[in-house]
Amino acid sequence: MRKILFVLSLLLTAPLAGCLDFSSEDEPPVVRILTYDITGFSDEMLSTFTNQTGFEIELVKADDAGGILEQLLQTQDAPQVDLAIGLDNTYLQTALDAELLQEHSTDVSGLSSAALEPYNGPFAVPFDRGDVCLNYDESRVDGENLSVPTSLWDLTEPEWDGLAAFPSPLTSSPGRAFMTATVDYFENDDNGTTDAFDWWEAMAENGAIFTSGWTEAYEIHYSGGYGEWVEGHIGDAAMTVSYCHSPGVEAYYSSNWTKSTSLTLPRATFHQVEYAAVVAGASEIDGANAFLAYLLSEDVNRNMPENNLMQSVLVDATWPETDGYAHHTDTPELNAEITTQRIGQDMDGWLSSWQDATQ
Amino acid sequence: MFRTLSERRSGLHPAQWALLLGVIALGVVPLTLAALRLQDVTETSMLGALRLFFEQNGAQEALRFSMVEAVASTVLTVVIGLPVAWAMGRYRWKRIRLQRTLLYLPFVTPPVVAAVGFLAMFSEGGWVHMIGLDFRSAQTNITKPSEWYTEGVHFGQFSALILAHTWFNISLMIRFVEPVVAQLDPSWEEQLRLLPGGQTTLRRFRTLWAPMLGPAVAVAATYTFFFSFTSFALVRWLTPGRHTLESLLADLGGSAGIEGYRTDTSLAVLSIAAVQMVLMLLMLWGAGRFERKHSHVLTLNDENSNRARRGPPPLRWIVGVGSVVALSMTPYVSVILASFRMRGDAGEGFRWTLAGWESAIAGDRSTISLVEAIGNSLTYAGITVLVALPLGYGVASALTTLRKRGHHKTAGVLDSLCMIPLSVSAVVVGLGIVVGMLRWYPDLFRFPYLPALPHIMLVLPFVIRLLVPAMERIDEIYAQQAQLLQLSPFRTWWHSKGAFLLPTMTMAASLCLAFSLGEFGASYLVVRVGSWDTLSILVDTVAGRPKFDPVVMPTAMALASMLMLITFIILGLNERLRTRGGTDDV
Repeated sequence: MRKILFVLSLLLTAPLAGCLDFSSEDEPPVVRILTYDITGFSDEMLSTFTNQTGFEIELVKADDAGGILEQLLQTQDAPQVDLAIGLDNTYLQTALDAELLQEHSTDVSGLSSAALEPYNGPFAVPFDRGDVCLNYDESRVDGENLSVPTSLWDLTEPEWDGLAAFPSPLTSSPGRAFMTATVDYFENDDNGTTDAFDWWEAMAENGAIFTSGWTEAYEIHYSGGYGEWVEGHIGDAAMTVSYCHSPGVEAYYSSNWTKSTSLTLPRATFHQVEYAAVVAGASEIDGANAFLAYLLSEDVNRNMPENNLMQSVLVDATWPETDGYAHHTDTPELNAEITTQRIGQDMDGWLSSWQDATQ
Repeated sequence: MFRTLSERRSGLHPAQWALLLGVIALGVVPLTLAALRLQDVTETSMLGALRLFFEQNGAQEALRFSMVEAVASTVLTVVIGLPVAWAMGRYRWKRIRLQRTLLYLPFVTPPVVAAVGFLAMFSEGGWVHMIGLDFRSAQTNITKPSEWYTEGVHFGQFSALILAHTWFNISLMIRFVEPVVAQLDPSWEEQLRLLPGGQTTLRRFRTLWAPMLGPAVAVAATYTFFFSFTSFALVRWLTPGRHTLESLLADLGGSAGIEGYRTDTSLAVLSIAAVQMVLMLLMLWGAGRFERKHSHVLTLNDENSNRARRGPPPLRWIVGVGSVVALSMTPYVSVILASFRMRGDAGEGFRWTLAGWESAIAGDRSTISLVEAIGNSLTYAGITVLVALPLGYGVASALTTLRKRGHHKTAGVLDSLCMIPLSVSAVVVGLGIVVGMLRWYPDLFRFPYLPALPHIMLVLPFVIRLLVPAMERIDEIYAQQAQLLQLSPFRTWWHSKGAFLLPTMTMAASLCLAFSLGEFGASYLVVRVGSWDTLSILVDTVAGRPKFDPVVMPTAMALASMLMLITFIILGLNERLRTRGGTDDV
């Protein structure tokens, strides 16, 4: 009987073995990185870093940029990670205000001024960027069936009834970025009596489709993208929110073919920058800084467009010419000019106004 | 002293009491802590949150959608399932066990596999798409609020969801209705035909079939409604943009319970979870009432002789039941086919390729590989079995002892308390872990086996439910024999209990494994806030990625195929082990 009890106790306690720390001092130090599902972090890229620096990498996954912020907030008193990668400039200020990050020691002299424009402080470094804007299906918005909008108000016209899909700013980073752009757009238009939330209300009344995430808006509702080849596609929207380089990515993966293009109305686009930052209370600070330097290195960062489908933050970054990537990528005339401080300060109010306007 | 007193009064050793209370605490404590945390963060009581339900963004809409889809799913399940169950119970079928197994299979299929299977069936290249029903708006979209439903429900998506729920729940109809039909003495019907009340089919239905089958149909329908109402993975993938209360909770759960951040979300979660819990308890209460009525009906005739007397099924039933069985296999085939199918360059349709499998096996681009994901999932499943089985055994044994000693009421109350995780949904159990434990004790983020905890919470009630009746059936004479023979404690246990319980324990173990492998609702919340990947969650993660790269969807389908195959292998092994001695199964 004792033998049985012994075997049973072994079996039952075996799963707990992982909780006990039997690690020897010879084991390589581990840098724990909190990030979302960033496709650019391939096994090869991570193992090259380990070979070069001796630091092992452990990825802790969050759902998206919002998930990263939420996890940092809830573990503030007992930090679980060394680096946070993926907060963008619509979330960064909240993290800064809550003192979730600490100073890094990475050289940012090789970064473009555009990348450093939203934030150039010591607590976060940009690692990729892209312009969030409206994309439309050229086969439907051809001037005959639908005309190309010259103002966001055009989208409230009956011809656009039910034909635009927007990811919710409550749950989607591109959705949040675009909503922020609309704030600036309507603050600077000719009409001083209406604001962004009047427009959102008019859009809701005009049958705009609101989705919880970018994927749902782009793949299921948007008819101009790869969604039409994806399971579950509906294709009822001729316009959606994505990046100005999304048509370029479409072409890159489809042998230089796409029917999607971007609408770059002045101030209706948002320059989104994603950041990597050392977490306050991190235990492996050297490793975290080493990874930041590696992330900004020529070998890794220059390949962001192919590996992570975003633009590099290095100076003189260009989109690849392969298969029409650069050709189908548009550069915005004038991005929304709205500071990270203001975003941090006003975001809760905007989200609440957006909810009221679209409900 | 205490031990003697306890044993004398209840028949339970103090350690058994501790185990019982521990298991109850395992189910109750995380949920209570979560409720306290949410009340603390929102400064609103549970009751107050309940009253604020209709003010929460999207809650009213989600409640309405949950009701509409659950009613539609229940109706369709009864319409399709009842004739199948009736025919299967009425006649002498060849290979009825195989038919039954195939129709039960959907119920144990990982929900995420079913979701991508139905997606594939309804999309281009799928057989449903070929007969003209699909997700595309041009043919089937009904978007205008005045025409159908607030903000529009796409008919293609809605039909896919309802069919998927029917596919899942048809086994419930068979499980509850078939035995009643099979055990009903055929002479009753023959005699009834001679009486004025049984001259017509309608009259026979009113006098005989409705009272006999009614409770069984009601039980199956209530459970179908319950499972459809709390559907998550299928709603997430088949009707994106629509929410059940369960999927809304899953969406909001990640940011709930954080002090000073998105308090509105915490309030919404508290409010929605409270309303959902009340509704689920009502449903379970209803199901319990119907089940009691059903058990009164179930004292009938030997089904073997009944079937023999009624003979083989007519051709129309062979075709009808055979078609349902064959159609129920198509989501599986669709998943496998879709794993080899990749879109070509734009406008060039699709091509067959192994790229999805290669990508799944390599697991590059920030996800773990297929092999690692299988390893993780099997580890969590193994832990679930290792913990849930002994705990479930201990609790079942204690409850049986209490009942045998005449403490029926105490046993009933304790039994109900052990079932608490079942009366809340999987997502709420996940919330219990995230908000109730991780928010209070962030160090648990580093506990590598945390995802097994919600699985254990969710399977324990099933294990107890399986073992209690099996234990109650064992005649005490075997224990007395063992005592007389002065066998060793182990051999005494084996002779008086173990040998009889082995098939049930095997079944419980395999169900635990299968459930843990496919569990999605609780894992979705827990895994989303940590770095624990399971195969089930990996399917969802990969399928949710931007699909500019055409290999993404075949990769997700390959992962889903593997999850499906592993689940079936486990269930197949269980079936072999369970029936090795030659079980009599008509």
